[in-house]
Amino acid sequence: MNRLRGLLMRFGGLFSRERRDRELAAELECHLEIHIADNLRAGMTPKEARRQALLKLGGVEQTKESYRQRRGLPSFERFVRNVRFGLRMLWRNPGFSTVAILTLALGIGANSAVFSAIDAILLRPLPFPNGDELMQISQYDPKIKTMQSFVAPVRLEDWKRMNSTFQELSGYYLEDLSEVSGSLPEKLTQALVAPRFLRVWGIAPALGRDFNPAEEHFGGPNAALISDALWHRRFGASPDVLGKKLRFDKWSYTIVGVMPASFAFPVEGVDFWSPSPTDAPYAQSRDATWFTVIGRLRPGVTVEQARSNLATVQAQLGKQYPKTDADLTVGIQPLKETIIGGVRSSFWLLFGSVTLLLLIACANVAALILARATQRQHEMSIRYSLGASAGAMVWQSLTEVFLIALAGSAAGLLVAGAAAKAFRTLAANLPRVEEIHLDARIVLYSLACSVVATLLCGLFPAFRTAHSSIWSSLAESSGTQVSTRNRTQWLLVGVQVALAVVLLTGAGLLLRSFQALGHVSPGFEPSHVLTFHISAAWGETTDMKVLTQRIDRILDGLTAVPGVEAAATSSVLPGTPQKFQTEVRFLEGPSDPNLRIVSEGRWVSPRYFAVTKIPLLAGQLCQEQLNGLDVLVNRSFADTYLSGSAVVGRHIQLLGQDLPAGHIRGIVGDAREAGLDHEPVPTMYWCLSAPTPDPFYLVRTQGPPAGLANAIRERIHQLEPSRSMFDVLPLQQHLDAAYSENRLRMILLDFFAATALSLACIGLYGTISYSVAVRQREIALRLALGATRHEIAARFLFHGLAVSCLGCVAGIGLAAALARSLSGMLYGVSPGDPLTLSAIVFAALLVTVVASLAPAIRASRVDPMVALRYE
Amino acid sequence: MGKADVWQGTLALMVLKTLEVLGPMHGYGIARRIEQTSGDLLSVNYGTLYPALLKLEQEGYISSEWGVSDNNRKAKFYKLTRAGRKQVEKETREWEQTTAIVARFLTPSEESQ
Repeated sequence: MNRLRGLLMRFGGLFSRERRDRELAAELECHLEIHIADNLRAGMTPKEARRQALLKLGGVEQTKESYRQRRGLPSFERFVRNVRFGLRMLWRNPGFSTVAILTLALGIGANSAVFSAIDAILLRPLPFPNGDELMQISQYDPKIKTMQSFVAPVRLEDWKRMNSTFQELSGYYLEDLSEVSGSLPEKLTQALVAPRFLRVWGIAPALGRDFNPAEEHFGGPNAALISDALWHRRFGASPDVLGKKLRFDKWSYTIVGVMPASFAFPVEGVDFWSPSPTDAPYAQSRDATWFTVIGRLRPGVTVEQARSNLATVQAQLGKQYPKTDADLTVGIQPLKETIIGGVRSSFWLLFGSVTLLLLIACANVAALILARATQRQHEMSIRYSLGASAGAMVWQSLTEVFLIALAGSAAGLLVAGAAAKAFRTLAANLPRVEEIHLDARIVLYSLACSVVATLLCGLFPAFRTAHSSIWSSLAESSGTQVSTRNRTQWLLVGVQVALAVVLLTGAGLLLRSFQALGHVSPGFEPSHVLTFHISAAWGETTDMKVLTQRIDRILDGLTAVPGVEAAATSSVLPGTPQKFQTEVRFLEGPSDPNLRIVSEGRWVSPRYFAVTKIPLLAGQLCQEQLNGLDVLVNRSFADTYLSGSAVVGRHIQLLGQDLPAGHIRGIVGDAREAGLDHEPVPTMYWCLSAPTPDPFYLVRTQGPPAGLANAIRERIHQLEPSRSMFDVLPLQQHLDAAYSENRLRMILLDFFAATALSLACIGLYGTISYSVAVRQREIALRLALGATRHEIAARFLFHGLAVSCLGCVAGIGLAAALARSLSGMLYGVSPGDPLTLSAIVFAALLVTVVASLAPAIRASRVDPMVALRYE
Repeated sequence: MGKADVWQGTLALMVLKTLEVLGPMHGYGIARRIEQTSGDLLSVNYGTLYPALLKLEQEGYISSEWGVSDNNRKAKFYKLTRAGRKQVEKETREWEQTTAIVARFLTPSEESQ
């Protein structure tokens, strides 16, 4: 405490120095007088008294000096002096300062920008109180490969009752409904939530209240919590929204509260939440699964503990209900992982790239500083001779570099701020992208970057300068015939080229993968297909016959719209990365109990193949009939499981589902259903137009698909006035969006690689120019002694090329070592792709020639007279 | 044996103790007093006394103001603050403890004989 006070007082001592100096002088003066008076009293002669007193007082100036040191903060004053001097030096060399600051701004800015995304998406907990306690819990059957993550309401309640590791468990599912109080039906996304939903989040409504127990039980009043967006859109943010109603086809909900704007779960754009009672009669079957379960761990409980706890609980349930529960396993995953999914590796790759970029920028600036240090050797020698210590000179140099880095990081923050916006536009469907913004953490991070950059690019030149000033004397003539070779500078250039080649390799490989993906033949025809949804409630599945008739009627109506070639439904959009693996068995023929027949399963309406243009290879297409279930298989399925035997006419049974056996009617061509970068896998197409109340609708159009959207919308409104059509998008756009993360990754990496190459180019140019400048006299001498101008130019050019070649070799070696980090991101190109690598080496050498040419030509134009003038 | 300089670190305690016993004093008086108390075995170097006084003042243990000395001269007087009084107590305790420990090492114990 007192020490802190001392420090503050010393800081205060930096000001009004003169007054304090005068005061000390007065104090010492009076000290002397009293001492003399004392001595006189002791009987000395006035002369002797004065002499003795002065003797005792000692060196007044030394006293004053140590007093001054104690008064202020000498190290701080030294720092301020260094800063002032540094600023003056930077101001006097605007060219050097601008280049160095911009280079570091680029390095630090790119680094901070990527870090801001990593921080928001990967590092920070979810934006809920103690977000790291939130988990997603699923049930699945390990015997059947079906990854069924949905949970039966009764099972959710059992888990809730029997576990000891979760504070709260709840669940939700979504449906899209049409609200009909307005003149046109408006599609609203409803989250149906199990009891205790908000208690899992630890979040209260911003207005109104949570659901009460009566509302969470079957038969209770219909209540809704609405989103902030819906509140603004439909109710003008009026506080008397409470008690108003949302009306749907057959029922309505009373609004009891408004959620805060920050709460957008389970999906961005959810409009309202309402209870889905777990004690409803239709929810009592242990096979009726629909909830996605979320839970909040008790404080201090680890995921592992929760896993083993729920495994025990499920084992008990297995004994109690052997038929339905014995085969089930419980999966627990942190909710954050399920939200951010697979973007983790992409971001660490980008972070690695920008770190390389920062290193290149540092190497560049270090080379600049070294070059300038040689020019300033004379100044350094003078300072050293005047008594500056080596340490003081190192500090001085570091302060100068720190100023550059600080300015660089300030400019870099502007880059990072702009990048936050760019992320949001470039990859809008990136998870948590709306949470990316500049804040104190990013500012601190960029400051840390500037300190690291200072040390990286300042430490070596600083020590070298301090060291060289010790042996270089003022008297040193600059007349050495052959200048030093500047090995360090060339090393730095080589490092820059090597790192740039690493980045170029990564960028090149991703670019080639992306191109390869574009040339893939998907096996279906994605252009001229419009996709959309039509609002529906899960409750409609109670009467499948009515539901199927309704959807068939819509499909017939769509086909009648002029410009529409065909219309179909599908459970999944073709070509988007979604998997639905199922296990089946054949009813006819010998069955091998050890052979498991696993296949992708899709539910499509009969005209699906006309819409997607997947060709029929054998047999016939689905028959439009309701009794019996038809199924088509693709060629991989036939080749893998039925090669050499009859395919058409067989019957197959889906395991684990209560459905009739399917009759294989025909074989269709292979299509990349699960994503363009996935080879076609065995796939079955079950012919059922209404697997869910709201499948994807696919319409093949004659003209551009978006042009028909309005005609289709009108037709749907005629057919189903109380339903709304939404998510209207051409299929091609869905396919593009599915790869937007790939694209973002590729664009950014290409950008970083291009920047790296330009930095290396600038570094090369700077070093060669500098080398030409300091060796002017040597060149002149060579010319005078008979060297041709061509030889001189070639000498510099080859020097640049040699360094660049070594850099390329080192860079390719490094890239090969790092290639593993790209695994899983490459498609149709190997990490050691010779075409990519040779293109990169060619590009690097080309850039080297471009960078070296001008200085080399300048070297060849040196006037031989220069050599003589030096003497 | 000549006059010893005051050991590093002990000057502050001596200054504080002097001010505690004798009340407000000027720098010269403090120095003289310390030398006298030591039986003229110590010599106070003014080059360290004044920075030491400044340090104590910055840390809030003493305060200073200009006054008039016995022989009618203008002088800067230092006096102990409340925090200073506590500090004297604390440092005295610590010093006694230190000397006691050192003393144990210097006096031969019974077991070792």
